[in-house]
Parts: sequence; structure tokens; C-alpha cells
Amino acid sequence: MDTWLIIEDILRKEGIARQHLNSYNEFIERGIQSIVDEIGSVEIESLTNPYKIRFGRVKLGTPRVVEIDGSVSNILPLEGRLRNMSYVAPIHLEMVVEENGIVREQQTQHVGDLPVMVRSDLCALSKMTEQQLIDVGDDPNDPGGYFIVNGSERVIVGLEDLSPNKIIVDMEKTGGNEVFKSKIYSSIVGYRAKLEISMKKDGAINIKLPSSPVELPLVIIMKALGIETDKDIANAISSHSEIQDLLEVSFEKATEVHTVQEALVYIGNRVAHGMVEEYRLRKAESLLDWGLLPHLGRTPNERYDKSMFLGEAVSKLLELKLGWIDPDDKDHYGNKVIKFAGQMIADLFRTAFRNLIRDMKYQLERTGQRRGMNVVGAAIRPGIITDKLRNAIATGNWGRGKVGVTQLLDRTNYLSTLSHLRRIQSPLSRSQPNFEARDLHATHFGRICPNETPEGSNCGLVKNIALSAIISVSSSASEVIERLTELGVKTTKEADQTTRADGCRIFVDGRFLGYVLDGEGLVNQFRQQRRQGNIHPHVSISYVRPKNEKAVGRIYVDVAAGRVLRPLLIVEGGQPLLTDETIQRIAKGELSWKDLIQMGVMDLVDANEEENCYVTIDQKSLNRDHTHMEVYPSAIFGVTASMIPYPEHNQSPRNTYESAMAKQSLGFPAPTYGYNTLVRQHLLVYPQPSLVATKSTPLLNLDQRPTGQNAIVAVLSYEGYNIEDAIIVNKAAIDRGFARSFFYRLYEGEAKQYLGGMKDNFEIPSAESNIRGYRGEKYYRLIESDGVVMHESVVSGGDVVIGRTSPPRFMEEYKEFEIKGPYRRDTSIAVRPSETGTVDAVFMTQNIEGGQLFKVRVRDMRVPEIGDKFASRHGQKGVVGLVVDQEDMPYTEDGIVPDVIINPHAFPSRMTVGQFIESMAGKAAALTGHPIDGSAFTGEGPEDIGTILKKFGFNSTGKEVMYDGRTGRKYAVEIFIGVVYYQKLHHMVADKIHARARGQVQMLTKQPTEGRARGGGLRFGEMERDCLIAYGAAMVLKDRLLDEADKTKIHVCEKCGLIAFHDIRQRKYVCRIDGEQSQISTVSIAYAFKLLLQEMMSLNIAPRLLVKDKV
Amino acid sequence: MAIDEVVILENSSVLYDELMAHRLGLLPLKTDLERYILPEQCDCRSPLGCPKCRVLLVLDAQARDRVVTIYSGELVSEDKEVIPISDKIPIVKLATGQKVKLEAYAKLGRGKDHAKWQPVSASVLTETGKEDEFELYIESVGSLTAPTILSKAAEILHDKLNQFATAKGLA
Repeated sequence: MDTWLIIEDILRKEGIARQHLNSYNEFIERGIQSIVDEIGSVEIESLTNPYKIRFGRVKLGTPRVVEIDGSVSNILPLEGRLRNMSYVAPIHLEMVVEENGIVREQQTQHVGDLPVMVRSDLCALSKMTEQQLIDVGDDPNDPGGYFIVNGSERVIVGLEDLSPNKIIVDMEKTGGNEVFKSKIYSSIVGYRAKLEISMKKDGAINIKLPSSPVELPLVIIMKALGIETDKDIANAISSHSEIQDLLEVSFEKATEVHTVQEALVYIGNRVAHGMVEEYRLRKAESLLDWGLLPHLGRTPNERYDKSMFLGEAVSKLLELKLGWIDPDDKDHYGNKVIKFAGQMIADLFRTAFRNLIRDMKYQLERTGQRRGMNVVGAAIRPGIITDKLRNAIATGNWGRGKVGVTQLLDRTNYLSTLSHLRRIQSPLSRSQPNFEARDLHATHFGRICPNETPEGSNCGLVKNIALSAIISVSSSASEVIERLTELGVKTTKEADQTTRADGCRIFVDGRFLGYVLDGEGLVNQFRQQRRQGNIHPHVSISYVRPKNEKAVGRIYVDVAAGRVLRPLLIVEGGQPLLTDETIQRIAKGELSWKDLIQMGVMDLVDANEEENCYVTIDQKSLNRDHTHMEVYPSAIFGVTASMIPYPEHNQSPRNTYESAMAKQSLGFPAPTYGYNTLVRQHLLVYPQPSLVATKSTPLLNLDQRPTGQNAIVAVLSYEGYNIEDAIIVNKAAIDRGFARSFFYRLYEGEAKQYLGGMKDNFEIPSAESNIRGYRGEKYYRLIESDGVVMHESVVSGGDVVIGRTSPPRFMEEYKEFEIKGPYRRDTSIAVRPSETGTVDAVFMTQNIEGGQLFKVRVRDMRVPEIGDKFASRHGQKGVVGLVVDQEDMPYTEDGIVPDVIINPHAFPSRMTVGQFIESMAGKAAALTGHPIDGSAFTGEGPEDIGTILKKFGFNSTGKEVMYDGRTGRKYAVEIFIGVVYYQKLHHMVADKIHARARGQVQMLTKQPTEGRARGGGLRFGEMERDCLIAYGAAMVLKDRLLDEADKTKIHVCEKCGLIAFHDIRQRKYVCRIDGEQSQISTVSIAYAFKLLLQEMMSLNIAPRLLVKDKV
Repeated sequence: MAIDEVVILENSSVLYDELMAHRLGLLPLKTDLERYILPEQCDCRSPLGCPKCRVLLVLDAQARDRVVTIYSGELVSEDKEVIPISDKIPIVKLATGQKVKLEAYAKLGRGKDHAKWQPVSASVLTETGKEDEFELYIESVGSLTAPTILSKAAEILHDKLNQFATAKGLA
């Protein structure tokens, strides 16, 4: 049964960036409207004519640009990228002016621009066919899911978050004391209130709320919520006597409070101490309605529900205290949700829209008298929303300290783009250890890639979703509640005493719904209903059976968006319900994966529901107890890990290294390279799909967007030039185009307009016309009269590609004696020092301000050379150590000469056996002429490959007799040789080589500049200094650190030790303190030291140099 | 012989000039060693060579109304004997409206300088088991016949040995 077809169908139909697109589409379809509806209307309070503006429907236009002359035209993402514009659509809002409830005027107003996610429902590209996409110049395989802001592509990385409204119980040890805690992150849209119930050593239960400065006793809160008698309070928590016994201390602490009113007064006294009574009471009421569990409602009507929920939270806390249940696991993926672009934009839009309304209200109230739609229209400043959204996406600054929310889309190669779009970030600080949060958790299985995570500070915090993961979309809770009541759930109000005491408690979407006696039966029936299509497939239900039978069972029904689901095949009676025939119909395209859910043969389960499942990996190990079967084992990997062949034969960290490295490999990122305007880009000239592919290779289009080449690789040492992971490369292979790539760099120049009507000019700066910063004629030789270089000119460091002059920075007053007239500055854009190339493309366009914009792309052919970095797909990286003529390379009896020789020492400690198998498989693939499947767990194994090799007359182990090319002598041992896919990584010597003899220095410290781009010096650091001291080479030390560095002479007063200054009238150095008595002497010190002395002096410290003669 | 210098008159294809030149260079050309001499042994001193040391091949191709693949067969050589070994080697695919017009100069050269001048695709020297006896297997790419390659190689080796002997005063 080829169940891979299901995974394939899911990813092909849903696309790689489905999570982003679903989330964004949900926002534009419903989210944006509901945010507007939350506000609904605004009252314009004026003394004479109060009126009201009601908001109606939100309509989103098509992506468009408003040019400087006011003309409007629809645009595609490509134009945004090219012209440094944002890809945005106008938001139109229906506004109704009402006076005393009578509709006066109604009109649709433009309230701002919404950034459009590429390939979302709002994007013009989403409606195009493949051919149309090609015709308009876009890549049909581009996954979309990102934004274009100011010409750059930005991704909103998925943000992992604790699931809201869940009761999490935990035990904390603080200084030997056990503190039991029950925490609820009560969240409603745009607002979150953390509730913490704790039970300390004394046994009293207290509640901590964000709106209260002090902890409040549980019993008093319960009384304030309307449950007055102690008996009712105890029953609201639990009817079990052992639990009720634990409440004694809490009741004792609240003996003086009896009624709701008294409780409110008590709370008011604590929350708003020292205020007037009326205010205190109001504060207490608002604490109950807004501060306490706001997700259950924010009016006094929901106080009963809140008390029941609170009771439940306390019950769970006490069950933990009694040891009936275990503490909740915060890292369990059932307790996590992921927020994607839609939710993030919604947060932002809410604040922006509120700001806009506030601003509008302020303006209308200030202008006073005049009314009507014209005035309202004039009071709307669409910039508030437009700028807020654009700036947030452009900078990743989401406000409230959230930074780095958006990132520049990784376009190194196609794979890195896909991986970037499936990345998720944890909000946990990377500076703290958070060991458990970084660990791979069992519930990540099939949801989060086990291998793909960065090394170092972000390890385990930045994750990638697995191929099989499906992110839930939100569905209606009320429908689910309806189903549940039909199935016999008694709500908290209906339930009788026995149901309450013995029944399972049911939570739906963070609310305590009620009880049911047969919990397990309900769960089963609910699942049956879902499989019949009566309930949304993303709704999950899980039954938590306590480890102690005295505790009650709990059922959680979750409808929230952002839970990570995974498909599992349903097993009944030891047989999967999925048949071969159904699979065949999927293969033929008659059925879609969604039909499998409708047919009831496949479930989408979240991590909580999976706790109720017994899942087998394959049919071989299936027994009658199993409830589910994996769809396809290798779908547990993410995009990068799934392209590693035979990963199950590698040591696990090697797969992690490769997952990181694959994103640095050069390939064929997109067929649109002719008009891409990325600042840096690489292109591999002859990319090849790998001979040993995995099942995901065609699925992820990696056969059409490859990232490497199949190299013939021999494992042997060669004259020591491949020690320490270096590789030997065949010169003839390089001559024939192996690993040849192009590097593109974009230079950009725009003409700005300045105050006073002056502007930048594109021209050839001329030596005659008084231009400051004139570089010299030879640097401008390549530019033409329009100021831009010619296409295909060969350029090198310093050559001007865009000639531009600008007006003076500051307008100086007219100097009468200045011979030269007003000057202009040379602000030309030149090729970076240490880079060369050929002008590949010149784009001339206009930016959004109407200024002329030039983009010049320079390409540079990179032929592999010593020092360039390469890697196989098994975390085996190395730099080229030597390029060897073909005649000197080893050869086999068939005359096969390797392209690459790697050192055998690369293997024993790293145990990347997968590379050996890949090598043999690659050889077999070359011999048969068919690619070989190296997918994890299911690929063609080493035995089968050995058989193929044998059939073609080769040794089944992949080893061969080889001869030394230099001597013609046979090697004493057989050499392992085969075909391995090699990736050229973007770290090339050409970008790194650097040396300096003399060069520029910094202005402030007179020390050499830093960094290659500025021709910087190489630091002679402390440890290097230590070497010279230890060696006793004092003169070398002085020479390096003083004479040939920032040597200066200063003048010191011998008497006071302070620096003397030069008096121009006396023509000598004088000391301000000692005057005539001073004896000034000259001292040679480092300029940096002089600077230190002066900086200290500026801090009112008197550094004194005590000078005396050398003896 | 292999194409070594390319003068590109027009190139609107997706392949950059340098890539086009690289691909052309790798085309194996049928070679007559008697008729041409190495550029460095020629007295013409011209960067593009003279009829004694180079062959001019011209490519003038265009895609008018459909996508076409340009094959090695479309190279027009001034010497009928010096042509690509196969006329089915793809050079570039042109989309409608794209055009390539170039002059390519083929010269003699050594495999040591660039792989395009290697006359063999496989050259294997194996031990026969008997003392000081080896077996040499060579496979021509088609530019020269295997016997020519062998005799020319022997000739060059002989010349080198003579030079060595002369230099050392052994002859």
C-alpha cells in the first residue's frame, strides 16, 4: 500500500506555505471584519450636535499602487520588488453617519492599506494558471506566504505560544517548600490575563491576578462571584471529601466575609486601597469581570461560569497535591499553539484601527460644528493603518517589546525558501537555558522536524514543521457544544449531584461546559460523529484518565486555530480502514486526501488526542489493540531533513548539521533570475537533480530546483592535501563546469528631492564643475551620459556604476570671497572594493515618490578554487585543499577518475554511514540509468544496491581496484568509490580573501579600520601580544603596537603630569597649572592612549603621567 | 582542436556570453594535426591567430516563432574537416525572438591547460602482472583517432626526452 501518495496529495494540494496562507485568508475573510465589529461605532461627542459613526462592511480592494501623480494602477508582486514598493491593497470601510438613531449619510471610505500576502486570496497571482504566471514573469513554483514591503520579501515566522485558557497545574519547589500552582492564560482577542492559583505550605489557597497588586483568598473570590455558602463553594470545587478537607485552611482565613457585598468590599480594599468607597467597589467589580478569566465573558452574567471554572482549577490543583494526577507538561505539544501571519497581522490591525478611530474622533470633536460625510472623510488619516502595518512588517517590530517577528525571506536556494516558510519560533529567551523547552518531545513526532534546528543559542527554540503536519484552522465552538449536548452532556447548571460527583468534566474551547457519566463512551461517539463529517475534522477531543481512580476524568474538546495536527490512518479490528483501491483512486486523482477524512479512514489528531491513540508504525507490527497507523514514516521530517538520503543510517546530529547546511548550498533558486533584484544572489550553472533522491524530492520540486551536482567521489588520502576535511577536486571536472556558479550583486541608486527644489542628478560627474568628492576620471569611464554603466561592461572594485551628484548637505550662507560657486557632492554608487564582475542587468524605473530609480546588477562567474566550501548531504563539509590535474588523479580499471577525493578520516568518528550507502546507490543509479530512492526507513537498502552493483560486474561493497595516476601503480587496497551528491556552499574564498599592508585608519582613534569591506587591518590581539612577551621580543612588540600603529607625540608637564598645550602666541607648549615653573617634555604614546587620557579628563578625572629620564 | 576564443556579435539567449563560450569550448572537434600548429609555435602573433593555427567557426542562429534548440551541427566551419564530432550536441535553447551570432576560433592546445583539449575520454594504464609490463587502454572522444593519439603522445614524449638529454648534455 503506497501511503506516500496521501502525504504527496496533502502537500501538493495544500502547498508548502499553506499555514501562512490559511491564516492570512482567514484574516481577510473574517478576522478584519470582526475587529471592526468589535468597535462597531464611535460617538462624536459635541455639545451642539452629537452624532454617531457606525462601521459597516469592510471591503478589500485589489493590490494597487497610487503613483505620485495620483493615478492608480493594479500591480503584481514583481513590480513591488522591482520598484521598492509595498504590495498592498486598500481597505474600504462602510461608514454610516447617524444622528439620534436616524441614518443621515452612508459612504465607503478608504481607511488604510493592508499588506498583501503573496499567493493569498487577495493576491492576483493566486487566480492565475501556471502559464499565466510564466507570462507575467513569476515563478509558478513559488510557494508564496510572504509579504513585499518596500521592495523586500518579508516572512512572518510562525510563533509558538502556550495554548490559551487551559488549566495547567504544576508543583514548584522554592527553598525546600512545595508550592502547588494552577495557571490559566485567559485570552480573548488582543488581551491576555494570567490567573495563578497557588497553595503554599500553610495550605491556604490564594489567587493572583494581573490587575491586583496582592494575592486574594480563593474563598473570598468565590463569594464575590456569588456563591455565598461555604458548602456551595466546597461543592463547586469538588464533591470528594478528601479534596474538601484540604479547603479547611482557606475557609478559616475568610471567616469574617459572608456575603457577596462583604466580599466585594474586601476585594475593593485590597485592590484600590485608600480610595473612596464607591470607587473601591467599582474596581472590585471590574476585577471580577475584566481581570478574572475574561475569556468566559466580561459581564456580571458570567460570574457563575467563572466560579465553576475556578472551582475546577482548584480541584485540579488539589488532585495534584493529593498525588492523584501528575503535573501538566508545559512542553507537551498539546499545550502549544502556533500563531501565523493572519493572527499576527490581526493583533497589529486591531491597535492600528483603534488609533485611527481615536484620531478621527479627536479631529471631529475638535472641528466641532460641521458634520456630514465630507467632514468624516477628511478626518480619516489612512496613513495611521498603512504606516503601522508597513513599518511593523518592514522592521519586525510588533510593539510591546516583540522584535524580530518578520525576517527577510531566505532566497539562497529553493530549499532554503521552503524551509524558511515552515519555520517556527519560540518566544522563550535564547539567553536562558530552558533545557526542557529545547528538548525534542515525544509529541513532536510527525509535527516538528526532529533534526532541523539551528545549533547554538537558538537550538531547539527555532523549529520547523514536519511534512505531515497540518495546522488547524478555527471552527465553531457553539456547533460542537450542540453536538455534545445531543450526545448527553449535562451543563454545569443542569447536572444533578451524582453526575457532578462521578461524571467526567468536559471543557470546550477553554470553557467548562459540564459533565457526563460515561466519558469514554462520549469521546468515542464524538469521534464517530467527526468521522461521519458532522463535526469539523480539525476539532479534537481527548479523554484524560487520572492515574488514581478517586480523581475524575476530564475531556477536552479543542476548536482553536494553530494546533499542530497530523494525519493518522484509522485502524479497526487490527486492519486499517484504508484499502489499496482507495489509494489507487488517489493516485488517479479521483479522490483527494480530504475525502479520506470524509470517508472516515483517516483522522487528523492533535497532540492531546494522540494521547488516546495507540499508533503502529506499519502494517507488519499491527495488532488488534491499535487504533491508528502512521501514514508514512518519513513524513515526520521537515523539508530539509527529508531530502537527506538514508538519514536513518547517520548519527542524528549529522542530519541536523546537514539540515542547516543545505540552506547555504547554491542551486537554482528560481527561473526568474533574469529580473530578480535581490541584493545578493547565487546561481549554480549546471545544477543536477540527485541520483539518489528521496520521496520528497519531486514533491518539493527539488528535481526542478536542484542544489548540487552528482560527483564521483573516492575515499582515500591524497598527499595530505585532504587532511582536516579538505577535499581534492579534479581540475578537468572544474574545466568541464563542475560547481561553477554565478554571484550577483545589486547596486541601487535613487534620485531624491530635497527642500528648496533641489534634487539628485544622474550624470557623469565632471572634474570642472566643482564637485566635492570627485573620484577621478578613470572611475567614471564606464558610465554613459544618463549616469549609468553600460550593460555587459566589465567592472571592478571602485568603478562607478551609477553616477550621481547631490546638492550640498547644509545650505551655507553665501561666502563673498569664495572663488568657486555653489558646489555639489558626488554620491555615485561604485562597485564594492574587492569585488569584480560584468554588468548583468540595468533596471531603470521610478520609485513611489516619483524619483528615478536605477538598479544595476553585476554578475561574477565563480569557478571553484582552493578554499571554496563544499558539503555532501550528510553534514560532511570541507574546503577545496587542492585542485589536481586529471592525469595525476587516481583511476579505476574502467578509466573512471573521481571528481572529488575525500579523506577516510571523515567517517569513523562521525558515523555518517548514510553517505556510504548514498555513494553505492549513486553508483548503482549511474549504472542502471534510473534514480534510486534513498528515503528514510523505506528507501532501497544496501543489500539491494549491492545486488545491482554485482549485476554490473562491480564489487557489491562499492570498493574498486584503483591505480595511482602519478605512478600508474595499483593501490595496495581497494578504494571505496561511488557517486555522491555534492553541494557548493556560499562561503567562497573570493568573498573572504583579505590582506593589508597599509591602509586607512579610523578618525577617532587613528587605529586601522575593521573589516574586509573597509580594507581593515588584522588584529594583533592580546594573545599574540602574550606570545611576543613570552618570547622576549620586546622590540617587535614596540614596533607592532606603537611605531607601526597609532604613534603620537604629546607634551607633558613634568611637574604636574598633565598634558601641556601649545600656545600660539608664545609659540611654545605651556602648562596651565604650573605656568612658568613647568618643565615640558615630549612623550611618544599610542594615540588611543592619548584619547583615553582626554576622555578621562572630560569626566573630571586628572590622569597624570609621571615622567622621568631613562637611566 | 577546441574553440578557444569567441567573438560574440549578438547574444540575446539566456546563456551569458562567458557561459556560451565555455560550452562551445567543450565541443570536441575533429582535428587534423598535420594541417595546424599550436598558436605559440605560429609566427603570426595575432591574438585570433592565422589560417595556420586556427579555424574559424561561425554560428548564426535565431528562434523566430517557436522555441528551438541550437545544436553543434549549426556551427559553420571554414575548414570542412574541422567540425564537431557530432552534430547533435545541444548548445543553447532559444526562445522566440532570441538570437545568437558569434565567431568562434578553434585552436590546438594541450589537455594540461584545459580539459577541452583532452583527446581521450578514458586512458587506463594497468599492470599485467608481469614485471615491467603494462597495458594501456585509451578511448578517444572523437577528435583524433586512437592510433594518432598514441603515436602523437609517443612523439611528444620522445621529443621531451631528447630535450632533456640535450639540456643535460647527454646526447
